[in-house]
Amino acid sequence: MISKKTIVLAAALATILGGSAAAIQAGADEPPRDPQIGRAFRVPYRLTDTNHFLVRVRIDGKGPFNFLVDSGAPALYVATETAKKIGIAPPKDGFWTPIDLLEIEGGARLEKVKGRVEDPFQLVGMNALGLPGASIDGILGFTILARFKLDIDLSRDRMTWTRLDFVPSDPPIPDDADRKNAPLEMKMMNALGPLAKGLALFIGKQPEDEVAPRGFLGLEWDEADKAVTIRRALPDSPAAAAGVRDGDVLLRVDGKPIESAKAARDALAEVRRGDSVELVVKREGAEKTFKVVAGEGL
Amino acid sequence: MNEHRSLSRAARLRPLLVPVAAALAALAYWLGPVAAQAPVADEPARAVFTMLPSNHMLLRATVNGKGPYNLIFDLGAPITLLSNRAAEESGTVDAKTPRSFLFSMRGEAEVDELRVGSLKAEKLPVVVFDHPALGLLSDAFGRRIDGIIGFTFFARYRTTIDYQKDEMTFKPVDVEVRDLMKDLPDRIAGPKVARRKVLASAGLWGLRMGAVEPGGAGVRVAAVVADSPAARAGLEAGDVVTSVDERWTTDVADVHAAAAGVEPGREAAVVVRRGGKELTLTVRPADGA
Repeated sequence: MISKKTIVLAAALATILGGSAAAIQAGADEPPRDPQIGRAFRVPYRLTDTNHFLVRVRIDGKGPFNFLVDSGAPALYVATETAKKIGIAPPKDGFWTPIDLLEIEGGARLEKVKGRVEDPFQLVGMNALGLPGASIDGILGFTILARFKLDIDLSRDRMTWTRLDFVPSDPPIPDDADRKNAPLEMKMMNALGPLAKGLALFIGKQPEDEVAPRGFLGLEWDEADKAVTIRRALPDSPAAAAGVRDGDVLLRVDGKPIESAKAARDALAEVRRGDSVELVVKREGAEKTFKVVAGEGL
Repeated sequence: MNEHRSLSRAARLRPLLVPVAAALAALAYWLGPVAAQAPVADEPARAVFTMLPSNHMLLRATVNGKGPYNLIFDLGAPITLLSNRAAEESGTVDAKTPRSFLFSMRGEAEVDELRVGSLKAEKLPVVVFDHPALGLLSDAFGRRIDGIIGFTFFARYRTTIDYQKDEMTFKPVDVEVRDLMKDLPDRIAGPKVARRKVLASAGLWGLRMGAVEPGGAGVRVAAVVADSPAARAGLEAGDVVTSVDERWTTDVADVHAAAAGVEPGREAAVVVRRGGKELTLTVRPADGA
């Protein structure tokens, strides 16, 4: 009997052990000493809706691209469309595609690495359904991750990757015979990739998040004794144009009482460019109300 | 959270497409929220791993006092998984729990206590399932692989992985792991509308961004407000900003996203290209908006 859960699990788990299960370690190349060894990099990441980590990379100067951090994948995978954008292609009769420079957001750089141009299930399936909330262009697997000591803490917005003096060996090249004779269960899982793509036609691809910068008022403030005082309304700013002046005490923002700088920041956090914000201030003992139309900037 | 672990119930055999669609919507039920955290200790717990020839990290763990079991640690796995054998032996599921024909799947369950190295994890949600790749690895290496440790486990901790020392450390963090799949059914079944998010800078910079440079090369500064933090840092209109606080800035949203992480009063490096030269400036945003 197939339960619904069964199929979902198959889909979810296809992301696990993303790469070849039968990979056997091969001999390592001589590692050249790299000036980045010992350095710690703060790597910004995004956690997708499906609890996968995405980091941004540039390959041979192109990008940035979103790559999955996946220690269960044996190597660096670059999606075929991404490879086209970069302008790299596997050599004839070659399994690995040479990459001159892999830059990871946060400052880490790896020169002369090998990538596999391929679309493993997690890329095809997730992108087709648009599940992760961002498109995925490739996978950083073992051969990249193992060059770093990884420090992952979800309470922070960045991971810390410290470069090790360690060059992992490439996984072996799976031979064609093995791939053709994969067990039925693996074939079923692999089949879910194209299946997901077909499904997307019916249910529709999920759009990526639409992000808008917050609007700009042009106010600098100080907090003291549970009061937020305008230190400066920047010249020519929306706030200054509306009539807010230095020294005004901010009482309310869109009706919300303001007793701390944090309260002021929170009250304004969702304001977009063009939105009208009502500020009530105290000036010389009197309350004054201003409508400020948020501008563009930060 | 569903306390009485409903295991996968038999459903009618259907064409493959329908259950896949339905089941993707049902993902929520497996990947539930992570249970309460242990109190924060000073020293992180440690565990030594071994590398399989396939370059997977292998940890030895006891499950509800039984074992040890060989579990693969996988940063790319959204869930934690146990084989049927390990789950039955450890009392995580009972032997009578029905199996589905595909991968002998039994659905989600909870491990009371999982120990690995000096770490004890309690009330750990797992999925019971014979993953075919684990079977392949077990056969290839002559060593039984009993499961996978994934996100639902390591998200509870500040986790470090050192491939040179073959060591991991775990320190509990106070983080609410969001009920990640809760909104997925809506996203899949509902209208295809992009979620809208506002990127709020944490402080006031006095900067207006302009045109995006082609090829992800940066964003041009349209204007700098006189006597603002940006002006004091030396930013000028026409500068091409390539990174803020070590985050790449290839569009205006990137600049705002990076500024969202710079608290007022903290210094942040801003790298700009100006007339063919690269400059690193230091901005200290003010408290404001």
